[in-house]
Amino acid sequence: MFRKLFISMLLFISLNSEEILIIGDKNFPKESLTLQEIRAIFLNKKRFIGGEQILVMNYEANHPLRLCFERNILDRSERSLERYWRKAYYKGKRPPKIIKSTQMLFAYLDSVQPSIGYSDVNETINNVEVRILYRGECIYDR
Amino acid sequence: MLNKITYLTIFIFFTYLIADDSDIYKSNSYGWNVPNSQLNIGGYLDMTYDDEREDKFLFNDIAMILSSHKERFDFLGEIELVNISPREESSSRSDVDIYLERVQLSYALSDEQTIQIGRFNSDIGYWNQAPIPILEDTTTKPHLIGHMFPKSTTGILYRQNLNGEDTLSFTLQDNHDIAHQDNLISINRHFGFSYHDVYDDFSLRLAGGLYREKDGINTTYLGVGAEYELDDFTMQGELFTQQSRDKEDNPYSGYLQSSWNFTKREDLVARFEAYDDKNIGMQEEIYLFGYLYRPWTNMALKIEYVYHTHLPLNRFVYSLSVLF
Repeated sequence: MFRKLFISMLLFISLNSEEILIIGDKNFPKESLTLQEIRAIFLNKKRFIGGEQILVMNYEANHPLRLCFERNILDRSERSLERYWRKAYYKGKRPPKIIKSTQMLFAYLDSVQPSIGYSDVNETINNVEVRILYRGECIYDR
Repeated sequence: MLNKITYLTIFIFFTYLIADDSDIYKSNSYGWNVPNSQLNIGGYLDMTYDDEREDKFLFNDIAMILSSHKERFDFLGEIELVNISPREESSSRSDVDIYLERVQLSYALSDEQTIQIGRFNSDIGYWNQAPIPILEDTTTKPHLIGHMFPKSTTGILYRQNLNGEDTLSFTLQDNHDIAHQDNLISINRHFGFSYHDVYDDFSLRLAGGLYREKDGINTTYLGVGAEYELDDFTMQGELFTQQSRDKEDNPYSGYLQSSWNFTKREDLVARFEAYDDKNIGMQEEIYLFGYLYRPWTNMALKIEYVYHTHLPLNRFVYSLSVLF
């Protein structure tokens, strides 16, 4: 009995997840994006939307949200992304703009159109002037 | 006169100085962004030691990459200094060759369509997308690179993005190559297509086309490739066939390569190749086993042993390469 309870608790802890939101500026040309579109935008395979160049933002390395985003949305490991950006650089592509905080993210989203980034739910609900393009989960047991 | 060890010491010291990747790790960004401009300047270095070559130590490439973006326009240029031998008495070739590897201008026609003109790597297969040692897991290239299709094209490329990451492209060349080059296939006409499909960890590439060499020989090629990438394991394979009405066919050339990332910075690589080249009357298999160490994300040290079933080219190859 205790063993089952212990296993259930472990499962609950390991599957504990938080929501991550892919957000665009308030006038972002699309209502929502698919995972494939998000990956294409953040990997610099798709640079324009509605005829305008997208400002794409990412957090610094080791930021908890970035780790979640890379694992759960981009579905790539650190090694895979290193490989990808080395080759992308050779092709003339550049990675997203690095931002240091969600405050910085919202400041850019407020002033640059079209722009895109990601945040957690708590940060986002206090900043209503954005468009939620995709809802994902951060699963920390991966 | 500087000897090999001196050259090697200078090279390693130089690469150590420029190989600090702390910023690269944070941003995945290479090169130097010229302040207040969209211009980025970077490059790569590559040095090999190959026991079978006359010039055992060779700076294969020292290249500069320039890129710039302006609204819908993208520019990319690559200039190479190649085959720099430390041996002053080297007689097999000129000690340094300088040539234009790529110069291309792209324009985004729409959200999903791009047109590109200039000299660029032919959009064919996986390996040819990034055919330099720092970007690949081995120093030596598979036989099909340089033998089964034109490595570079001087012409126009039209690319259509399909459903996010998938792409379809068409290549057109009907003119001379604009650069001096030592490619095995030197062309003045090329029509080709390429399709790239991505399914999460798995992707697929299909390519085909026809080209005319400078001596008027017309050849068609068709190839398929696939890649499967997990966190610590990558499998990649390509198979091409080539037919010509003016010369002997190359019925097949292909490889299957796996990389196992057994620590954060170390990989073990194995590759099996097979080809049948009727023009030289050779049909053989090649086996490769390699070790790759990346002390930083922009540096690679490689050791590999290459075994040929027929040609007397069994050997160890060592290389050091840096992207900066």
